[in-house]
Amino acid sequence: MALLFRFLQAFALLLLASAVVAEHTSNWAVLVSTSRFWFNYRHLANVLSLYRTVKRLGIPDSQIILMLPDDMACNPRNAFPGTVYSNADRAVDLYGDNIEVDYRGYEVTVENFIRLLTDRLDEDVPRSKRLGSDAGSNVLVYMTGHGGDQFLKFQDAEEIGAWDLADAFGQMWEKKRYHELLFMIDTCQANTMYTHFYSPNIVATGSSEIDQSSYSHHADNDVGVAVIDRWTYYVLEFLETQVTSVTSKLNLGDLFDSYDESKIHSQPGVRWDLFPGGEQEGRLRTVVDFFGNVQNVEVENANATEPGSLKEDLAEIARLVEKWQNRDEEYSAMLADSATNVTEDLHSSSLHLKLKSTVGPTKMAEDSSWGKRLVGISVVGACTAIWVAGSFLGRSSV
Amino acid sequence: MTTKTGDQESPQASSSQGDQLSVKRAPPPETPAALQTRFRVIAAFWAVIIFLGFPIWWKTTSIYRASLPIEEMVDWADGKACRPVFPLDIHLATPSMQSFEAQHLLRTTQHTLDDLNEFAAHHLRLKLTNGTTTAVHNGEDNLEYPAKETADTALTVRLLPQDGLASPWSELHAAATQLDIFYPPSQVPVPSSSNSPLSTFIAAELQQLYGEEKATIAHILSGNTAGLDSTSPQLAEDIDRRLRRSMKYAETYHLSFSLFTPGSEPSSWDIEAAVKEYVSPLLQALSPISNFTVDTQVQLYANFAPTAPKPEYDESEAAWTLKKEGLSAFVNAAEWPLNPSIGNGPTINFILYVPDPSQSPLIVKENRASSWIVPQWGGVFLLNPPLSNTGEQSAPSNPSHLSLDSLGPAFMTFSHQLLTLLGTPSTPASLPLRLQTSIRIRAASLLLSASSTMGSLARLTKSLPSIPIPATVATSVSTTLSHLSASCVHLREGRFGAALASARVAETEAERSFFEKSMVGQVYFPDEHKVAVYLPLLGPIGVPLVVGLLKELKRIAARRKANGAAS
Amino acid sequence: MGTSWNQQPNPHPVMAVDRRKIAVFGAAFVLRLLLTCLFPSLPDLLTGRVEVSTPVNSFKRLQEGLFLYTRNVSPYDGGVFHQAPLLLPLFALLPDAKSWPLPTAIFYFLVDLMNAYALMTISASGQSVKSRLHSAVRKHVRWDGVSVAAWFLFNPLTIATCLARSTSVFTTSGILFAISNAVGGNSINAMLALGFASYLSLYPALLFIPLVLLCYDRRLEGPSPPSAGSFIIQHAILLLASVAGLLGLSCLITGNFWEFISATYGFHLLVPDLTPNVGLWWYFFIEMFDSFREFFLGVFWLHLASYVGGLTARFRSQPLFVITSLLGVFAVFKPYPSISDASLFFALLPLYRHLFPLMRYTFFAGSAILYSSLLGPAFYHLWIYAGSGNANFFYAITLVWSLGLSILLADTIFAALRDEWEQEHPEQVGTEVRQV
Repeated sequence: MALLFRFLQAFALLLLASAVVAEHTSNWAVLVSTSRFWFNYRHLANVLSLYRTVKRLGIPDSQIILMLPDDMACNPRNAFPGTVYSNADRAVDLYGDNIEVDYRGYEVTVENFIRLLTDRLDEDVPRSKRLGSDAGSNVLVYMTGHGGDQFLKFQDAEEIGAWDLADAFGQMWEKKRYHELLFMIDTCQANTMYTHFYSPNIVATGSSEIDQSSYSHHADNDVGVAVIDRWTYYVLEFLETQVTSVTSKLNLGDLFDSYDESKIHSQPGVRWDLFPGGEQEGRLRTVVDFFGNVQNVEVENANATEPGSLKEDLAEIARLVEKWQNRDEEYSAMLADSATNVTEDLHSSSLHLKLKSTVGPTKMAEDSSWGKRLVGISVVGACTAIWVAGSFLGRSSV
Repeated sequence: MTTKTGDQESPQASSSQGDQLSVKRAPPPETPAALQTRFRVIAAFWAVIIFLGFPIWWKTTSIYRASLPIEEMVDWADGKACRPVFPLDIHLATPSMQSFEAQHLLRTTQHTLDDLNEFAAHHLRLKLTNGTTTAVHNGEDNLEYPAKETADTALTVRLLPQDGLASPWSELHAAATQLDIFYPPSQVPVPSSSNSPLSTFIAAELQQLYGEEKATIAHILSGNTAGLDSTSPQLAEDIDRRLRRSMKYAETYHLSFSLFTPGSEPSSWDIEAAVKEYVSPLLQALSPISNFTVDTQVQLYANFAPTAPKPEYDESEAAWTLKKEGLSAFVNAAEWPLNPSIGNGPTINFILYVPDPSQSPLIVKENRASSWIVPQWGGVFLLNPPLSNTGEQSAPSNPSHLSLDSLGPAFMTFSHQLLTLLGTPSTPASLPLRLQTSIRIRAASLLLSASSTMGSLARLTKSLPSIPIPATVATSVSTTLSHLSASCVHLREGRFGAALASARVAETEAERSFFEKSMVGQVYFPDEHKVAVYLPLLGPIGVPLVVGLLKELKRIAARRKANGAAS
Repeated sequence: MGTSWNQQPNPHPVMAVDRRKIAVFGAAFVLRLLLTCLFPSLPDLLTGRVEVSTPVNSFKRLQEGLFLYTRNVSPYDGGVFHQAPLLLPLFALLPDAKSWPLPTAIFYFLVDLMNAYALMTISASGQSVKSRLHSAVRKHVRWDGVSVAAWFLFNPLTIATCLARSTSVFTTSGILFAISNAVGGNSINAMLALGFASYLSLYPALLFIPLVLLCYDRRLEGPSPPSAGSFIIQHAILLLASVAGLLGLSCLITGNFWEFISATYGFHLLVPDLTPNVGLWWYFFIEMFDSFREFFLGVFWLHLASYVGGLTARFRSQPLFVITSLLGVFAVFKPYPSISDASLFFALLPLYRHLFPLMRYTFFAGSAILYSSLLGPAFYHLWIYAGSGNANFFYAITLVWSLGLSILLADTIFAALRDEWEQEHPEQVGTEVRQV
């Protein structure tokens, strides 16, 4: 019954979604590595390579959430301190000097990841740690780590299940936190992770089928460990050699067609059915729709005269300024009157904030220790008195 | 665990061992007193389990789910609970007309208006003002919180006869919500005629005045698809673009004004005066829509990102130029301390960039503009102050202080950018009217967004049975729903300011209820996992207790039977 | 207390006892003093050990609270201090322990001696071998009070606790004086002392039922026996009143009632600090899924409390033994146990010297306890400082420690049962002993 309901619901959402104009207004990327320790170097290198690519294609750091559970660059076993490479030729230092890690070390937890996606975060969490996407955002979610059938391990301590992930995306869709979402995962049995997704507008792709391992590509003998996974390597190869600029017209179809099982050593999977229009439509989305950023700076034309243009506005604002200068004081008095009305209505909303107890600064004062001693003596005295009284009473009663 | 088990068993295990010993070694049966003691021991343990253990189990493992008015929430989301309408009151001031003439003019104009209108939710209601003289002064009233009882006056149309005109013409007061229409006295409609050029003219003027607003509201209400049929593609495109670049609604916006310069100068600016002079009036005018806080900073030695395209010198322009496509990389997001986290609510960044003297003046190559908007983020203004040549040999330098006057253009531009980023419509050409329009647009979009959040929450509640729903969410939901209906009523009665105030509360509460922090569902936990959680500890404790209880029950049953047989 | 001395026939000449007593007490005092003076860093070292200091009895944390208290800042700000507020004015009387360690140390020595004195009183009453409803078979096999006190005073666990200045010693005093007054017949002071102990550490409140039964049994031996119900209710009210009085006093001192309640009792009940200790809770709750945390907190507390009813029902005739075995249970299963809890259990065990011949696994239990108390610090070092071990090393050792204590406890309980059984079947006494 519940299943049927869910299907109906998904169907209704699909109908709704298909009506939406297929254009996005911003791009966000969530790049997650879930494993720590030196021998998992390649997972961090995977993520950093992707990070480099999306940055190259124009997504600013403020719209990339990077989760790195370990710091390979500063690992004492790293023969090349301060660097991370995803290739044995060590041509590109992925660490560079412009890396913004948003969640690091033990902050990379299942709970934080789900909170990030659903934005159920404390008010105090800075915006750099939030996914600020909205109904017009295309979101790229890339995950890598050690996984299994329908789960992905986080930091050797916990795991996220395919159900949890699906529910998180479901909630994102409910709250219009994405327009279209590309989910990529490189782990063993990766394709099982997206089997439970139910929210529309998602294209999901993974590195390996159920019961298949996802292999590393090659090791760097000087670093001493494998530096990148196969599937990610070939995805990156495509992105780096074919998608050279933001204007690239290559689409997701081309990307997925570039998968070569003989090279990847596992069967990558793609899931289209959640996307409106299915595979046909989905294949047409360009790669930069997800990996690049919308280029949308609007230069103001100082010479245009149509309504709403800079010139018109400037004139209006100048008039406003002039008028308000004259009526400034008068107006603020009136505003104060009317403000009382407004605050009444808004009271319930501000009440919530006040309830939160804050630890304020406290003044430290060296009290005259005699005062405290007096208190001490009186406490001890009172207790002794009661005790002695008890002894008397108790003895007399026996 | 082993120790735990061992000890847990110990009172009984040892007692039963003792009993076994006694059974084996000592033929005499247990005394009734011993039986009674054993019964008491078992009863004591089971009493704790039943009277304390089960309630605790029930209390701590059940997920608290406050009951939500799901039906009502879904109704709101589906638009069944409220059909937002926007009746605009337009006052017609006819100082030089007879009252019956005015009445007639009103009727015919209203008729024409109704004929022209194709979007029923948004309609104009004409009214005659009684005091013909007072009408002039209410230009400002729209900005204040309206009195509870009366509908807001959207516009006052003043009809003024003017001799020597062939056809009527109009003039919109740029600083007030007033439209003056001058007409030749001959065009005053005669009561017999059903139509007149004057009423047609008025209706057309009004229709044109509110054309964009109507289209925008239609666009919002229809869920961002094509709004009205009559909307020109150009206008539709404009509306779409504006909605896309404007910030997401927030209760509070933080405005951050930053002065960036690659060198050491200018190192100070008259920011306080500039904000007070140029920004505060606008902020006060916008206060019904959102709250604003203002922060400022000065950053010296702010360099471009290494990947950003460098400015190039353009001989023909005699200036350094930036290419338009490179502007998105202009802001060095990695190193410039922008996007500060000031409380909750988004930050709108305004960057005043003073280029290095060696690269001054700096303009945008394509159209010589000096400012641009980064949608949903903020605005940038390139300020090229006059360079001073102090030393003979030394290169020219920027002034060390930017005065209020030199900041004027920049801050006017910022004000304009702020309006744009907040999604203020571009027509009509009167700022008060535009602000009024944005109040209505905001009210509509907030109403819609809060309703849809309610729907999302309702669906979420149904689809995720393992998610806890704290009581605060239920409170927030009921606040949202009550404010939504209040807002709907206000809209219907034309009190848009009040409607927006209610819609703001509704939106805030709706967001709070959806993003309640504790509503992160339990990590997926099927029942077989629960067995694995309970069994290792509770199994060893439970087995001896259960066995003890069973033995005891068996004994009691046997004794009953024996008693029954004996009697 | 004099009453109890007079009631029981004293087997030894008064003068000899006094001399032995003075020797034992003096030696214990001098030993502590020597340890403090010869190894000045020893107290601080012990204070930092997780086996000795837990978040709820650490002297370091007390000092932090004291520092804040003397500077008029709420001692619970900062979330470090979780002990009862009345300790603060008490310690404010003593000179600063950092610059003048000796007065504080001597104060602790004296508290230890007082505890030993209370133990002597308990031993002298003879309640452990012969009470109103019970009389042990091997009455003659027992140690006198001075030996019991010496056993307590020279127990390394007691000495370590004392040197570490753990505030558990006050709880110990409360419990011991509650018992000594109860066996002495002064039920009012027994309740006051228990109230004090409960106020400090919460869990001693569980001892109320056996203690009130002990008082009741003593009262029945007196001239005018009251009815059981009213007696229990009266004493419950007395206990509540004493706790309420202490809470009221604390409230006067800290000013903020809920703050100190949540920082002290809330801390005991909800166990938010999972610093390793010798108990079983910390590891379990580190590993437990968060959503089940509350449930298992309930289970653990109930588990602790469930022994009260069962043991009291089984050993109704020997309330003092119920108290002893409950203290053993607490030493293993309470949320923040330390070696001081074990030392209290060990302090009361010699009262049951007559049960020792009936115990079967003393060697096993003793070696487990010795093994763990030697290896525990080593494994902790390997885990925390050397980094060559992990948490499981230390946890395994705490398991062995708990196992040792549990075996000892179970063995004692078994011996008591045997004793009762032999009493009912006197003809079997000889054979049984040979069998075991």
